[in-house]
Amino acid sequence: MNWVQIAWVMMIAGSLMLGVVHLFVWQKQRSQYANLLFFVVAVSAAAYGAYELARMQAGTPASLAVNARWSHVPLAVFIIAVVGFVRLYFDAGRTWLAYAVIGLRLAALALNFLTGVNVNFREITALDHLQLWGGAVVSGPIGIPNPWAIIPQLSNLLLVVFIVDASVTLWRRGGAVSRRRAAFVGGSLAFCVLAAASFAALVVTGVVHAPTILMPGFFVVVLAMGYELVWDLVAAGQLAAQLRASEQRFRTVVEAVPSAILLVDGKGMITLANARAETVFGYQRAELVAQPVEMLIPERLRASHAAVRGDYAGDPQARAMGAGRELVARRKDGSEIPVEAALSPMPTKEGLFVLVSVIDISERRKLERSAARQRDDLAHLSRVAMLGELSGSLAHELNQPLTAILSNAQAAQRFLAQSPPRIDRLAEILADIVKCDHRAGAVIQRVRSLLRKENSQLHSLDVNDVVDESLRLIHSDLMNRQVMISTDLAAGLPAVSGDRNQLQQVLLNFVINGCDAMDGQEMDRRLLVRTQATAHGNVEVSVADRGAGIPAANLERIFEPFVTTKATGMGLGLAICRSIVEAHGGRLWATNNADRGASLHCELPAAKN
Amino acid sequence: MRELPPTVYVVDDDPDVLKAIDRLLESIGLNVATFSSPRQFLEVYDGNAPGCLVLDLALPGLNGLDVQRVLEQRGSALPIVFLTGRGDIAASVQAMKHGAADFLTKPIDDTALLTAVRDALARDRALRPAQLERERIAKSLAMLTERERQVLELIVAGRLNKQIAAELGTTEKTIKFHRGNLMRKMGARVVADLVRLADRAGVGSTSGN
Repeated sequence: MNWVQIAWVMMIAGSLMLGVVHLFVWQKQRSQYANLLFFVVAVSAAAYGAYELARMQAGTPASLAVNARWSHVPLAVFIIAVVGFVRLYFDAGRTWLAYAVIGLRLAALALNFLTGVNVNFREITALDHLQLWGGAVVSGPIGIPNPWAIIPQLSNLLLVVFIVDASVTLWRRGGAVSRRRAAFVGGSLAFCVLAAASFAALVVTGVVHAPTILMPGFFVVVLAMGYELVWDLVAAGQLAAQLRASEQRFRTVVEAVPSAILLVDGKGMITLANARAETVFGYQRAELVAQPVEMLIPERLRASHAAVRGDYAGDPQARAMGAGRELVARRKDGSEIPVEAALSPMPTKEGLFVLVSVIDISERRKLERSAARQRDDLAHLSRVAMLGELSGSLAHELNQPLTAILSNAQAAQRFLAQSPPRIDRLAEILADIVKCDHRAGAVIQRVRSLLRKENSQLHSLDVNDVVDESLRLIHSDLMNRQVMISTDLAAGLPAVSGDRNQLQQVLLNFVINGCDAMDGQEMDRRLLVRTQATAHGNVEVSVADRGAGIPAANLERIFEPFVTTKATGMGLGLAICRSIVEAHGGRLWATNNADRGASLHCELPAAKN
Repeated sequence: MRELPPTVYVVDDDPDVLKAIDRLLESIGLNVATFSSPRQFLEVYDGNAPGCLVLDLALPGLNGLDVQRVLEQRGSALPIVFLTGRGDIAASVQAMKHGAADFLTKPIDDTALLTAVRDALARDRALRPAQLERERIAKSLAMLTERERQVLELIVAGRLNKQIAAELGTTEKTIKFHRGNLMRKMGARVVADLVRLADRAGVGSTSGN
C-alpha cells in the first residue's frame, strides 16, 4: 500500500464521517436543509474520491475509462449540491447562474455517457505510468481528447462565477458571521473549484502530464463547509445555554416578585405559579399547576370569568384586570379576598399564554377604610366645634320662630278674650303658628343632621341647595357680625356626588373664614358666594371676601393643619375641609381677588350617572 | 293743637315675627305700622308723629343702634322699645344710655311687651308738649340777631338797661330797641316770661355769671 492509497482512503472516510454527522443533525432538525446538502456534498465527494483512487490504480485503459466515466456521476451530484448549499446557506447567488451551472453539468453528464469514453476523452489508447512524490506510481490516461470537454469546463467556470458572486453579496451584507462565511466557505469553494477545474483542463488538454487529481480539493471544500456548519452547532448550543439561563432568571424573578404570579395557557390552565401565589391563595403549588384558573374565582363568578377570558384572547393586551371593578379571589379555605390583577399576553408556539399578576389588597382596603373612618370622625368633631361657634346664631334661628309662635298664641288669646271673641282671626294665626313650628323644626333638623356622627354617604346633590341650606344656618351669625352676603348661583349646574353634611361644613367654613378675614374692618363687610360650572364640566363653589387678602406665601399653606392667620382657632377647619373635598375627588384652593380680599374655591367633580 | 292717635312703629326683618307682634299689638287696639327694614321706616317716619318704636336690635344693613342714632340726630325723641334675640349686654347698655325706653329679650311675653309699649307711649305723650315747646323756643332763638342774643343773655342775668348799654358800649335807647324786638320775637309779654323761656332753652346758664 502506498501513501496515495492511504491518503485517499482517509479523505474518503473523513468525508463520509462528516457527512453522516450532519445527516444526523438534519435528522433531528428537519428544517436545517444546509446540513442535508452538506451530507450530499460530503458523500458525493467520497464517492468521487473512490472512483479517482480506482482510476489511479487502473491496470488497463479500459478499466480507467470506465472509472473515469462513472466518476462524473458523483461529480455532478457534488456540484449540484454545492450550488444548492451556497444558495441556501448564503441566501445569495444569482438564480440564472445556478441553473446555468446545473444545466451545463447535466449536459456534460449526458455527453459523458453518449460521446467518447467519457466527456473528456474520445478514446483512451494507453496508460501513462506517472511517478509521484515519494515513489508512488499511479496510472493516467493517454488518448484523444473529446471536443465536448468544453461543456464541463464552461460549467466549472460558471460555478466559480456563481460562488464568487454569492460570496461578494454575502460579504456586502456585513456582520461578523456573514463575512466569515463569505471569506471562508466562499473563498475555499471558489479557490478549490477553480484550481481543480484548471488542473483538470490542463491535464485533459495534455498541457500538463499528470493524473486528474481532484479529491484533495474536494476534501478541503468538505472540511471548510463542515467547519462552518460546526459554528452553527456551537451557536445553537450557546443559544440553548442562554435560553436555559434566561429561563432560570425568569423563574428567579417570578419567584422574587412580591405578588402572586400565574402563567395561564390558552385553555385557562395554570402552568406556573410562584411562591407568593401559594400564600395568597392558600394552595400548594402542585395543587395549582394543571388546574383551571377559575378555581381561584368565587363560584358565582366563574361562568362570567371564562367568557371574559375568551374576550381577552380575542384582544390580548397588557392591562389591569377589571378596571373600575372590585375583583375578588377565592382562597383554598373558601374565604374571599379583594385583589388587583394585571394581565400580560405571552404568545407562544402552543398558543396564547397569559401572565397574571395578582396582589392581595385586603390590607390596603382595611387601611383605606380606617383612614376614611378617621377622616369622618375628624370631620364630625370639627363640625361639632364649628356648630359650637355658631351656637349663638343657631339659637337665634330657633328663637325667631319661637318668638313668632308665642306672640301669635298670645294675640290669639287676647282676640278670644274680647267680647265678642274675634274668632275670625284664629285661622290665620293658627296657620302662622304651624308654619313657624315647621320652621323651628327645620332648624333643629339641620343642626341634628350636622351633629349626627355617621360615615359619609354619597348622594347626588345640587350644590346650590347646599349653599342655600348653609347660608340659612349661618344667616343670623352674619347679621350679628354685620356682614352682608350675596350669592351668584349658576343655573343648570350638573349634580355632584357628595355627603350633604360634609359639603355644608366646607361651605360654612369658607363663610366663617371670610367673615374672620373682615374682622375689625369698619366698611365693606361683604361676602359673595358664587357657584359655576368649570371648563371640565365640574362644579366650582367660591366665597369671596373683602378683607385684607392672603399673603402670597400662605395661599397654599392655609389648607395645611395648624396653619392659621387668626388669633383664635386651631387652624384645623380648612385642613379638614381639604380632606373632605379630596375624599370627594375634588380640590380646594385660595386666590386673592383682583380688587380686594381673597376667595376660597372648591371644585367638585360632577356625579356620573 | 289737635292730638293725633299714637302709632306703634314695629321694625323687624323677620316677617313671621313682624306679623305676630303686629297682631299682638292690634289685639289691644293699638295703631300699628310695620316695617321689614330700618331704611323703609326712616323714609316713612317724619319725626313728629306721636307714638313709639318697637325695634329689633339685630337688623341687616343698619342695626337697631344705628336707627336710634339717626333718630337722635334728627332731634326726634320717639321712645324706642328694643327687641333682641340674645342678652347682648353691651348693646343694651348703649341703647339705654341713649334713652331707650325698654329692652326686651325674644321670645317676648305679651304683658311685658304691652306694658313696655304703653309706658313708651305715655312717655311720648308726657314729653311731647315740653318737646314741642322746646322746639318752638329753639326756633324763636334762631330768629334772634347776634346783638339781640347778647342783650337777652344780660337781661336774663338780671342787668338793667343802663348797665347793659354800658357793658355793650352803646346807648340805653338802642338797648330798649333791641329789647322790644327780642321780646316780640320770643313771644314774651313781660320779663318773667322771657326768663322762663330762656331757662327752658338753657340760655344764660353758661354766660350768666
